[in-house]
Amino acid sequence: MATESKVHKKNISTYKIVQIVLGVLFGGYLAWRLYQILIANPVYGADTWLRFAIAGIILGSVYALVAIGYTLVYGILHMINFAHGDIMMIGAFGGYFVFEGLKNIPAPTSADPGLNFLNAHPVISVILAFVVGISIAALSGYFLERIAYRPLRNAPRLVPLISAIGASIFLENAAMLMFGAQRRDFTNPTVLTRGEGWDLPVGGGTVILTYTSVLTFVLSIIILVALYLLVQRTRMGRAMRAVAENKNVAALMGINVDGIISQTFILSGALAGAAGVMWGIHLGLVYYFLGFIPGIKAFTAAVLGGIGNLPGAMLGGLFLGAVEALGPAILGIDFQLKDVLAFGILILVLIFRPTGILGEVLSEEKV
Amino acid sequence: MFKRISTLVSLLALASMMLAACGSAPTEAPAATEAATEAPAATEAPAATEAPVAGAPEVCATDEYGCAVFKPGESIKIGMGAPMTGDYAAFGIDISQGAMIAIQDAGDVNGFKFELVTEDDGGSPEGGAAVANKFVTDPAIVAIAGHIFSGATNAAMPIYEKAGVPMMSPSATNPDLTKQSSKVFNRLVFTDADQGRFAAEYLFNKLAITKLAVIHDGSSYGQGLAQVTNDEFIKLGGEVVDFTAITPGESDYSATLADVASKQPQAIYFGGYNAEAAVIVNQMKQSGLDGVIFFGDDGTFGQDFLDRTAANSEGTYSTSLVPPASEARSKFDAAYEAAYQTPAGKLSPYTWTAYDSAASLIATIKSVAILGEDGNLYIPRSALVAAVRSIKDYPGLSGQVTCQENGECASSGPTFYIAKDGAWVEAEK
Repeated sequence: MATESKVHKKNISTYKIVQIVLGVLFGGYLAWRLYQILIANPVYGADTWLRFAIAGIILGSVYALVAIGYTLVYGILHMINFAHGDIMMIGAFGGYFVFEGLKNIPAPTSADPGLNFLNAHPVISVILAFVVGISIAALSGYFLERIAYRPLRNAPRLVPLISAIGASIFLENAAMLMFGAQRRDFTNPTVLTRGEGWDLPVGGGTVILTYTSVLTFVLSIIILVALYLLVQRTRMGRAMRAVAENKNVAALMGINVDGIISQTFILSGALAGAAGVMWGIHLGLVYYFLGFIPGIKAFTAAVLGGIGNLPGAMLGGLFLGAVEALGPAILGIDFQLKDVLAFGILILVLIFRPTGILGEVLSEEKV
Repeated sequence: MFKRISTLVSLLALASMMLAACGSAPTEAPAATEAATEAPAATEAPAATEAPVAGAPEVCATDEYGCAVFKPGESIKIGMGAPMTGDYAAFGIDISQGAMIAIQDAGDVNGFKFELVTEDDGGSPEGGAAVANKFVTDPAIVAIAGHIFSGATNAAMPIYEKAGVPMMSPSATNPDLTKQSSKVFNRLVFTDADQGRFAAEYLFNKLAITKLAVIHDGSSYGQGLAQVTNDEFIKLGGEVVDFTAITPGESDYSATLADVASKQPQAIYFGGYNAEAAVIVNQMKQSGLDGVIFFGDDGTFGQDFLDRTAANSEGTYSTSLVPPASEARSKFDAAYEAAYQTPAGKLSPYTWTAYDSAASLIATIKSVAILGEDGNLYIPRSALVAAVRSIKDYPGLSGQVTCQENGECASSGPTFYIAKDGAWVEAEK
């Protein structure tokens, strides 16, 4: 008995040693590259670094919003909702049609008789776009759960996964049939013209901090904080956490488990919808396949941060965005390899920390 | 028991049928090529028998492939193998319509009229070979204004070669086609290699760019073009500060562009299609590439790119087959629209070269045709093949057409366009 546990301990320690050695090697290489690229042989000026950082943070904050949707659902149902990226696409289309509709409503003023509602009231327009996009996406999330997942609640774990992939393909093709396969341009109000922004003089160059990126970043931070408060401070959030902890005990305590699951899907759909509208406003293209790549990336971010863990998903999203924008520059490789880098880091994290950056060690039952 | 045996027998029968089907497939292929080798014999036969007949010009007796003979009232046929159905039907329909206008304009030679025979090759190599085999058995077909796709052209070339039928393709761009030392294959369209070379020369000589960044989308078209431009630009003495790739289909390239911006290029050459080009152009300013010239290939040309980029595309360049405005072109455009109720160039950008290829073939046929003393028209085939190869300074819609020894006739190269006020206008030469 005693020898057995000794052997066991020894195994762990060799694994730990390998981990530490590899970690030190990797960290050392990273530090050497950073020294090379920042001090010894600077390739980029401060302005370029700032541009990389802006691109990474914006991308990261959108990833974070979508990643939280994955994490919320995983935390409660222990399933990956692969149709989540497509809910984001639906939200983007919601915002797109609001802007298209408002563009056609005339709001003439004495100064400019050709003015439309979109440009006359940009703040109301943007709020409307978010409200509609979020509502449609939340509604889709609700029905997605009712139709594709609830009937399979007690089925083996692989079954809802297959159902999720089916739902994803269904949503993509439905959108293609309804809206066509072409890419559409997301028309912003003129005050939010893409590429326009504040000029920051940095390191001999001028960095443009675009209005759309500021809007995206600020909104996603607000949403993330609001969500955190919702989950931590409200009755609904407490019920959600209880269901995530143990469905049966939560039901015994008088919590309506099905209701909470529905609410979770509505919440994650709303987040994806907000991310979709932001994506449209900031990047300007909507089409039926829009949600696929951000969906995969956000799933990666959720796993990276520790799936099931809310701050982990936020951190994972921002980290992934930063890796995509800054990683190739730091390592001095081609920018086309950013995805290789992002998924490579995912593999490394899964090898050395299978529960993700912030993931706690799960109890047997939860796993 | 009986039932089991009968199943076994039927299974065996099925298996043997499948085997037979598999076995017969390879034996069929030689049959097709046999038809091809027989075809010239069929076309030669009438010429050979008619040659001694009084009235046939002497050249028919000595011509390697004999003469095509037309009795009064018959028309001289030009073949067109094009995809008329399926995904690429727009190309085939448009190109045959452009060639049809050339037939209308052709008039006659000594009273003999011209006729266009269009066959559907589906754009595939098999279709190209089938159509070619059909065409060479018709002795009235003296030349081919096609084929349209490189694959079909490649398969059809050896068949025409054996029959002595000259080709003038308006659209087969694969650079390898003219490297097979074919006697009969010529083309009026510039290849991707030409496009890259002309773009590099324009950037270096005309726009005085010395520091160029090259971006491509990793497709065989985009990357090939980018590589040629890169090599040619360096050959001219310019400096390529960055050669990088993007992942097609994404909607954010700002990090890649910031990286490109840090190398401080004066211009960006892009090899790829308009979806990615529009994203790049929209994000150039915020990525520190304000004032850098964007130079696109013929995949970025079109109204779609302008619609997506609005003011951001002002001053960007693009490349196109569309010939520069001229009197002849506006005459063609009017005739095309009158005949088909669509503006020329809407279905494909090859309609003008299609006209040129048919028209240049007709002009060459006219120059070699001989009116016999018996009133028949004789067209010596190998003389026609040689005459097409030596076309010189033929005034086409796309410019002066002169064929080189390898069969490349697109001496004019592409036309460059610049975006001005939401429209493509021809850039200064």
